[in-house]
Amino acid sequence: MGRRVAVVGAGMTRFVRRAQETGKELAWEAARAALGSCELTLEDIDAVCLTSAPDAFDGVHMKGEYLSEGAGAWGKPCIRTYVGGGSGVFAGIQAWYTVASGIADVALVVAEEKMSSTQPHPQGAFLTIFDSVLERPLGPNLLWIFALEMQRYMSVHGLDKRDIARVAVKNKRNAAGHPSALLGQADITVEDVLASETLAWPVQRLDVSPISDGAVALVVAAEGVAERLTDRPVWIQGVGWNLDTAYWTNRDLVFPEYVANAARMAYEMAGVTEPRKQIHVAEPYDPFDYKELHHLEGLLLFERGRAPEAARDGVLDRDGDLPSCPSGGLLGVGNPIAAAGLMKLAELFWQLRGEAGARQVPGTPERGVAQAWGDLMQVGTVVVMGVDGAGTGAAAAAPDAAAPDAAAPDASTPPVAPVGRSLSETEFRSAVGAVEHEVDARYEWDAGIAVGRFLEGLRRGRILGRSCSGCERVLVPPRMFCERCFRATDAWVEVGSTGTVQTYSVCHVAWDMRPLETPQMPAVISIDGSDGGFLHLLGEVDPNDVTVGMAVEAVWKHDDEREGSILDIAYFRPKGRT
Amino acid sequence: MLEKTSRPADVRRWPGSIPVGHRYTPGRAGEVFFAALRDGGVLLGSRCPSCELVYAPARAFCERCFSELAPDTEVGPGGELVSFTVAFAGVDGRPLDVPVTYGLVRLDGADTVFLHVLLDAGDEPLEIGERIEAVLRPGTERTGSILDIEGFRPVERTA
Repeated sequence: MGRRVAVVGAGMTRFVRRAQETGKELAWEAARAALGSCELTLEDIDAVCLTSAPDAFDGVHMKGEYLSEGAGAWGKPCIRTYVGGGSGVFAGIQAWYTVASGIADVALVVAEEKMSSTQPHPQGAFLTIFDSVLERPLGPNLLWIFALEMQRYMSVHGLDKRDIARVAVKNKRNAAGHPSALLGQADITVEDVLASETLAWPVQRLDVSPISDGAVALVVAAEGVAERLTDRPVWIQGVGWNLDTAYWTNRDLVFPEYVANAARMAYEMAGVTEPRKQIHVAEPYDPFDYKELHHLEGLLLFERGRAPEAARDGVLDRDGDLPSCPSGGLLGVGNPIAAAGLMKLAELFWQLRGEAGARQVPGTPERGVAQAWGDLMQVGTVVVMGVDGAGTGAAAAAPDAAAPDAAAPDASTPPVAPVGRSLSETEFRSAVGAVEHEVDARYEWDAGIAVGRFLEGLRRGRILGRSCSGCERVLVPPRMFCERCFRATDAWVEVGSTGTVQTYSVCHVAWDMRPLETPQMPAVISIDGSDGGFLHLLGEVDPNDVTVGMAVEAVWKHDDEREGSILDIAYFRPKGRT
Repeated sequence: MLEKTSRPADVRRWPGSIPVGHRYTPGRAGEVFFAALRDGGVLLGSRCPSCELVYAPARAFCERCFSELAPDTEVGPGGELVSFTVAFAGVDGRPLDVPVTYGLVRLDGADTVFLHVLLDAGDEPLEIGERIEAVLRPGTERTGSILDIEGFRPVERTA
């Protein structure tokens, strides 16, 4: 499968709430640190692999082009790849195929995010990921997705939130040893997490990673070149990525199948047949604490529903049997989206070389896996890295890694570029030369054919689906094609206006984090007579009485108030109530 | 499978926006550049000794060799008009009451070019390559903005 590819250098900025640097200055600092770590200059670089999450965060349309010179792309082949939150790990995949294909011998990989630019809150940039016609009228915010998935995960497996909170504690404690960390905290406890403000039950403030600015860079090289650049190249043994359907309310949120598919792809390439034995250190994506556990199961490292007890039993601790997020992860180091993903590859590089300083896991780990997640909660990106260049899965020769450095954290190992200054809120507001702009873009979204008919049905008080005779599903929301069979769907079917609560949340904040006067109860409702369902709101029920699996029925607006909108259903209430 | 409508007005559409704004801070080099412009009426560039290039406005690093740069080189206020255009319509496509002339300007001592507006072009047509100079706002009106430079005007016409 092409030439073998190794990581030979890595560098990163500190992750901070507000960097003084511009986005391209951040990219430059990280790229320069990575080049310096393997004693290369820009002249040695054949191609640049660049990534950054939504343009709306930095507020720069065509952000890849804006960042390019900070990524060292002047006069070189360069492209920015983008798969939402999965972007940072995907940049490693992009680097692999850029070099494995023979296009470049040495490539610079750069990930940057500057979220502090977005006002009033970066979540505003996420609102349009919800379906403009079927979901956005309900007033959703990004937390709903996480809260709904977390609730489903906890409910199906009967999980204790204490076990999930341990992930936040572990990562913030791990990050205390990271010179780049924004939220390292050596003395945080499970009680602190459980006592933090409830945002959208079951998500509380300390379950969530922080908004951050930062950049990370790697240098990768082809076999034959990598060995000349360093005594200890860390090989990219396997890569995998996978997308599930964007009809997220049609999936069972309890298990990330797309992560499992990506992991199988990467493990097969790496020759990994028994992941739990052959993977020695993991950097799963942890924007929320439950996501790390969800993803460890998706990575096939634990049985479904069993990762939380591993967290409880210390298996995931830095000195545990399978150290997970020894870096401190997004929860501890910070979450400048794309940069945070690439930070996971940098951490594997440092861990597998024995260079992680105070964060070094014991023993001599030979293989690690990093993973990220994103888009509309539908993409999994996975990279397996190891000291064995053959990548056969056979026992590798012991690396000639230096003994782990037991000394206090040293800011020069791993290579960390200090950001010039982390701006305080006052400095941010008063910076000389700062300017503000509103994004003056307005849209008109069409319902399209299938949803147009669906909305007409709602106006008449009926819920319509489309049947697919290929997979024998009745699709709600309806679509004119089946994404699995990739054929036209066959017929309109009227389904019931009753259903089952798949998962729900009680949300206390709006998208800009202002408290709501009346909490919202979003739920994913499976519609009876269909193989799908959609996002809506619950009503006429006390939040404490809602359960996953509860039977509900639509409460329609009066005939003369209905206008062909998802809001023609006022809400769903417990079935049989009069 | 495609359905056509002959009554576009009947098509339901959901209006919306992306409710974000941005606050852009000018960064390491930019803060120095704007402070010098505001406080001293001085235009600063950054010299890269290895590439023998002066970037203006100032930058924190050389995009060619990745060297760290400092805003250490005073440039302008005179310069050369590299190109120009006259805008008769605004961003919304509507006609402007007064057309605006935009120019690409290379300040004396700098190798790079930047965008600004041209003032007082008068009746005589502008020429690419002609001498121009920065017109700064009075010190008391300067705020640390690219608009502290009111614009550029041809040199010989004001002499």
